[in-house]
Amino acid sequence: MGIKGLMKLLADNAPSGMKEQKFESYFGRKIAIDASMSIYQFLIVVGRSGTEMLTNEAGETTSHLVGMFSRTIRLLEAGIKPVYVFDGKPPDLKKQELAKRYSRREDATDDLAKATESGNKEDIEKFSKRTVKVTPQHNDDCKKLLRLMGVPTVEVYAVASEDMDSLTFGAPKFLRHLMDPSSKKIPVMEFDISKVLEGLELSMDQFIDLCILCGCDYCDSIRGIGPQTALKLVRQHGSMESVLENINKERYQIPDDWPYEEARRLFKEPLVVTDDEQTELKWAAPDEEGLVNFLVKENGFNIDRVTKAIEKIKTAKNKSSQGRLESFFKPVSTSAPVKRKGTKCVLVSPSHVTKFKTLSLRSRPGVLGRLIFPSLELGSNYSVPLSRHETAHTTEKGAANKKSKAGGSKKKK
Amino acid sequence: MLELRLVQGSLLKKVLESIKDLVNDANFDCSATGFSLQAMDSSHVALVALLLRSEGFEHYRCDRNISMGMNLTNMAKMLKCAGNDDIITIKADDGSDTVTFMFESPTQDKIADFEMKLMDIDSEHLGIPEAEYHAIVRMPSAEFGRICKDLSSIGDTVVISVTKEGVKFSTRGDIGTANIVCRQNTTVDKPEEATVIEMNEPVSLTFALRYLNSFTKASPLSNTVTISLSSELPVVVEYKIAEMGYVRYYLAPKIEEDEEETKP
Repeated sequence: MGIKGLMKLLADNAPSGMKEQKFESYFGRKIAIDASMSIYQFLIVVGRSGTEMLTNEAGETTSHLVGMFSRTIRLLEAGIKPVYVFDGKPPDLKKQELAKRYSRREDATDDLAKATESGNKEDIEKFSKRTVKVTPQHNDDCKKLLRLMGVPTVEVYAVASEDMDSLTFGAPKFLRHLMDPSSKKIPVMEFDISKVLEGLELSMDQFIDLCILCGCDYCDSIRGIGPQTALKLVRQHGSMESVLENINKERYQIPDDWPYEEARRLFKEPLVVTDDEQTELKWAAPDEEGLVNFLVKENGFNIDRVTKAIEKIKTAKNKSSQGRLESFFKPVSTSAPVKRKGTKCVLVSPSHVTKFKTLSLRSRPGVLGRLIFPSLELGSNYSVPLSRHETAHTTEKGAANKKSKAGGSKKKK
Repeated sequence: MLELRLVQGSLLKKVLESIKDLVNDANFDCSATGFSLQAMDSSHVALVALLLRSEGFEHYRCDRNISMGMNLTNMAKMLKCAGNDDIITIKADDGSDTVTFMFESPTQDKIADFEMKLMDIDSEHLGIPEAEYHAIVRMPSAEFGRICKDLSSIGDTVVISVTKEGVKFSTRGDIGTANIVCRQNTTVDKPEEATVIEMNEPVSLTFALRYLNSFTKASPLSNTVTISLSSELPVVVEYKIAEMGYVRYYLAPKIEEDEEETKP
């Protein structure tokens, strides 16, 4: 999931790009949420013990609905405007990763069967967690629920989320731990890409190369290169091409079929929905009757709880109407007053370049304003060239994929 | 090297009381022209801008621009230790991570030094453009404070609307509604008791009373308050500090969302 070891790398090398924020300080903001990831979490956590799941009378799982319902209400109460983003078709490059996850799940299913036989409770718990899978049915249920609650949903190709790879996709800001239960009192972690780049002393392109070197969902990492080495290499050589040229081929085995260019293109130009109808986001009033029908009658929710929750949604709507100052006044760079410890030595030349780059990234006008989700912005701006690109892209990739499969099977033998 | 000597020390005490409820930590910026502060509350709904010009100080020395991050609660704690008639001097050395407040009693027989640790605060500085406002209301600050306090016992939000008739403050709550109208009134004995309304265009905006109530903490600084309103701009509530500068509060309005029931 995401970029291997990126979180730690950033914490070590670019701490200024990370900020702890209070949950409340995001009110009024539109925030994109990875729906699949959330549903997956709900299926694991909510009301599950061993192989037992929370179900309705018909025996269908409802954990995801319980979780989605209460979490969304919590967000609305905080005045946040959530947009749920559902996984679309995964990019071809991700298929390898998905296949791996699939086989891991298969293994877990076998292990689970064994554990159930032997009656080892710990193992049952462990393996049943791993067999959890988000089905299209779960997705559809949640979409329906959100529609009834008046929360918009978006379908996107190549999704970014709690996954650290959101940053690589160029999300200007990226939040972690937003969804943790309030009881845990974990501050929300905010990542600011421009500050991250400044801290790492890299440009956006170099950052993407760094992430590919660390290993992402789209291509394997090079054996022996971890995040630290990757950062050193990119800093030293400047780009993936010269890294590959100068790298010690004896020491590091570069996989034969290593589609780094494809991965790079994917990060720069993710495939996005170009349907204009979908990109218009609206937070409507909840459909009370529909909610009661869906949750109480079809899925066996307690009617009192649902009506109370609907009340909450209504009052929350009122709260979200408070404007923020940033929508009127724009931040200016604090150039004037020197900090009191002003005699710090700063490396100038590289950070200048990166700063310029990231500024241009931010000023790109987008439908979603300060939303953390990048691919959508691209979609509305560059709809035509992207869709054309997609067809060319996939055919090309098909061939590449076949090749990689062949290569993979050889290795196994 | 920084040394600012303020004879009317109570002024600084009042300034701190007027902003510490809204903002926890803030950077004080010192330059040759004055001592200033700009800070937003944690939810980024309200902003406070303070300016104390160098001319207002008995002695003002600031060799280079510096920014000092302070915890306002702690600063208020220290300033509470100063007597109302005391002379307050703010001192800081270059590169030091503390600031010193010196309190001298008017008779010079007692001198107290309080040293406070500074902190690193990275805050966003907002650029506030000059704007033409649709309506500007000047009224006694005590009157404005009273209105905000009264209305907040009825509801959470206030609609401030300015028309030819005057300025109307209205609220609505579970127990009922309240409307207060203040008419233009310039026939008073003292000029600070006047209510003056300058209006180019009628305007009506909704605000959270919670914030307005914390603004009125600045009432002791000035007898009058100036409220500048423009549709689609934050309201400005300004308290002038005689011969020195001002405390200005900006508050983002509540936005009435269109009741669109069209959902596919």
